[in-house]
Amino acid sequence: MRGLCFVGSVLGALAGALLLSGCAATGIPGDQPVLRAKDQVMPALVHIQPVQEVFAQGRREQRPIVGSGFIISPEGYVVTNEHVAGRSGYVRCVLYDRREMDAEVIGTDRYTDIAVLKLQTEGEALPYVRMGESAALQAGQTVLAMGSPLGLSRSVSRGIISVPDRHIPDHGTMTSPYNNWIQTDAAINQGNSGGPLVNLRGEVIGVNARIIGGADNIGFAIPIDIAKEVVDALIADGHVSRSWIGVTLQEMRRRTDDPGQRGVVIGGVDPMSPAQEAGVLPGDILLTVDGQAVDARFEEDLPAVRKRIADITPGSAVTIQLLRGGAEIDLEVETMALADLRGVELAFAEWGFTAAEVTPEIARRAQLPAPRGVLVSGVQPGGPAANSGLQHGDIVLEIDEEPVENMRDFEEMYADRIETGQRLVLFDVKSGPLMRYVLIDQSAVAGAPQPGMEDLPPEENGLMSPELNGGLDGLE
Amino acid sequence: MGWNRLAFAAAATLACVAASAQSGAFAQSFVRGVYDDLAPGLCLVSYNYEVTNPATGQTARNSSHALGVLVSSDGLIMVRGHMVLDHMTPFNIRVAIPGENGDALLPAQVVRKPPDVNVVFLEIQGDHGPFSYVSFDGGPELQLGESVLLVGKLGETLDNVSAIGFRRVGAILEQPRRTYALDDPLPLGYVGAPVVNGAGQVVGVTGYDLSLGEGGDLHVRSGHPIIYQSNLFQRYIDDPHSEPEDDPLGDSWLGVFTQPLTDNLAEYWDLPPEGGIVISSIVDGSPAAAAGFQRGDVVTHFNGVAVRARQDRDVLGFTGLIRAAPTGPPVPYRLLRNGEVVEGEVTLVARPRTHLDAEQFEDAVFGMTLREITTDLRLALNLPQDIQGVIVQNVRPGGWAQLAQIRPGVIVIGFGGHPVTNLSDYRDAVEQVLEERPAEVALFGRVGQVTGFFRIEPRWDQYDEQ
Repeated sequence: MRGLCFVGSVLGALAGALLLSGCAATGIPGDQPVLRAKDQVMPALVHIQPVQEVFAQGRREQRPIVGSGFIISPEGYVVTNEHVAGRSGYVRCVLYDRREMDAEVIGTDRYTDIAVLKLQTEGEALPYVRMGESAALQAGQTVLAMGSPLGLSRSVSRGIISVPDRHIPDHGTMTSPYNNWIQTDAAINQGNSGGPLVNLRGEVIGVNARIIGGADNIGFAIPIDIAKEVVDALIADGHVSRSWIGVTLQEMRRRTDDPGQRGVVIGGVDPMSPAQEAGVLPGDILLTVDGQAVDARFEEDLPAVRKRIADITPGSAVTIQLLRGGAEIDLEVETMALADLRGVELAFAEWGFTAAEVTPEIARRAQLPAPRGVLVSGVQPGGPAANSGLQHGDIVLEIDEEPVENMRDFEEMYADRIETGQRLVLFDVKSGPLMRYVLIDQSAVAGAPQPGMEDLPPEENGLMSPELNGGLDGLE
Repeated sequence: MGWNRLAFAAAATLACVAASAQSGAFAQSFVRGVYDDLAPGLCLVSYNYEVTNPATGQTARNSSHALGVLVSSDGLIMVRGHMVLDHMTPFNIRVAIPGENGDALLPAQVVRKPPDVNVVFLEIQGDHGPFSYVSFDGGPELQLGESVLLVGKLGETLDNVSAIGFRRVGAILEQPRRTYALDDPLPLGYVGAPVVNGAGQVVGVTGYDLSLGEGGDLHVRSGHPIIYQSNLFQRYIDDPHSEPEDDPLGDSWLGVFTQPLTDNLAEYWDLPPEGGIVISSIVDGSPAAAAGFQRGDVVTHFNGVAVRARQDRDVLGFTGLIRAAPTGPPVPYRLLRNGEVVEGEVTLVARPRTHLDAEQFEDAVFGMTLREITTDLRLALNLPQDIQGVIVQNVRPGGWAQLAQIRPGVIVIGFGGHPVTNLSDYRDAVEQVLEERPAEVALFGRVGQVTGFFRIEPRWDQYDEQ
């Protein structure tokens, strides 16, 4: 599975397009529904060119990418993918009428891969799309995918809905816990990301976001119903607020094929989570949440249950009913706010490495009882950190025997050590199950090459973030 | 084979000296003589091997070849040490020995991999001898720049063609023991090749890396060929089945991870110049944990010996001290904790089993092989002590486990409603399930940091037919 981003040169594709440009369709009768739908959406289509901040080999770099989006209101709100507009220093947009303008990133949501931009207009009303509904989609419905495949703006492709509610398991950092996906055979390529999937009424029913590398005509769009909720939250608050109780849910068929068995299997309970504090155990069957029955016989049913929990106001106490050993029990769980999937990442150029915030997920993977420290996300070859033996994946828990609670602590300690110029700085780091000491020799900093001077940056090949590159294996 | 050392050596020495004066190379007649004598003692070893991913327990199989040197008339063979590694086990070993009527292909088994020299000994199975073999001279010293002759197998190909090569002694290392490094990498087929000096003496074999106990590639750096002098391995040729207790490195275990006390670290902590070694991690439940060792302790003396480690490779000396110390009687130590001297005693135990020696259970009914979680595996998987279970090593294609999407690396915590903390629990749980014959069996397991259920649907009718 890969996210859609523009790769490769567009020159070859443009040459091909020129050869075909002499035979523009005039619209024979059978084409009318397609033409009408296209005409309704095309004026609101946006070609998006963000410059993303990428962390590679212990350095922060800027990389231009290309994606798609669509205007949803006259004042210029634009919907696109988080993997297009996330971590962008600035975003340049090209409208259908070729006007170019910058856009502000209003908010992003990694859990649904949705982002909202605001075009920097001069007050004029802009054309915008009509949002449809995705709850009642059917396989076989004709759809159009619109956007900038391989950077070729204003492209339209046609296909049908192959499956309206495809479940896609997590793949590395690509996760979609709260939604299934619209699978379509309309041609979608890198660069289509964030573009609209449109029905023949000219309504947007999905946001194109994923393809399977190497497969033909298997693309996926985020259903518009969930996108609309996220967009509203991002415009209102800049982020999506969700509850977390710390359970791994599994469909009932993981335990039994008996169709009479209702509920959802609790496959796991996170340590020190609200669910664990409330006494939830793996193997319990979740029957109700806040008085409402929940049921997931198949994995496609799980996102709705997760969303049911996520939609609870964080910090509120809810009653959940469980089936345990044949008896129904009620437990009260006080939910917590769901943490961001990805934390802040910063470059510490003087020491030659980059570090990311330790999110609850990273803490769980590292067997830390709670999020603390910073995660080394890259080490610059030849820099002081590399020379001292610091490695990608290390978690720095202490500096000079003072605890590093979070990224802010680390930034302050870093700034302090740089200012005082103390020669030796001691890190206490966790590397997998082991701890070790790493001593940064700041006296080596002065003679070190400046960041970016010692070798050329990676080729500007266009443009996939490391996370997305990590997901190239495809969905099986 | 009867390598007529005395007679040949004298002639060869003369020839060599004469030739060196002219071209710096061995005389052709000398080379030919060495080749004729040694080549019949070489063979080509073909084998399959199983590689285990320590993080998941998953195994993969592949095939390879190696140059073999017959070292006894009854079929003892010496090959490069990398044929057997911690995570790599050879099997299906076949030895091709050239003969008048083509190659004889004979089965062989691993006899041992000595802990103090990076070679592996194989033994041909069955009574096929006597074989021609190579005998070694007792480790004569070599000089820097001295030319040596190698006899190997061209390209390690199945054509089984013996070939010659020339190298010089490019460096002589004195630590951790005298080691002769060659001046140029070795092509395929020359790793493990007999090395002959200008006097016609077979002084050793080529190889890469010291034994792990000596530091592996820490001293010589990977990719740099060296000579294992024959005095390092001759005793294993003389007595290939000697008891492992004779291993010189010992088997005692403390249960710590260490790092050198570099000059910078000593300066940072304001420690005296005598140095020591830093305890960076302590294994839960180990002798070190029981004795109260703490992270950041700097061990200065162990078992009466001063400890000093300034570089990574120096850490090996401490490892050697621990391994050689006795298990049972308390071993004294002295360390610095926050600058203060602390003295104490620790009772060492035998090194815990590794995943290679782990107990396994092949569950033929559900179609998977399970293995106990050894200390090294627990560390590799970053598994906390409170998680007990067994790990799936393999699943049989088409078996019930595979159909339930169980895969290698899954840690089984429960089976059929019964908790599983070890292989014995698992066996009992399977027995119970076989008696009960439920339509569905829930396996509760852990994958990475997540737990969950797998539903197995046994086909009891098929089982009964079998």
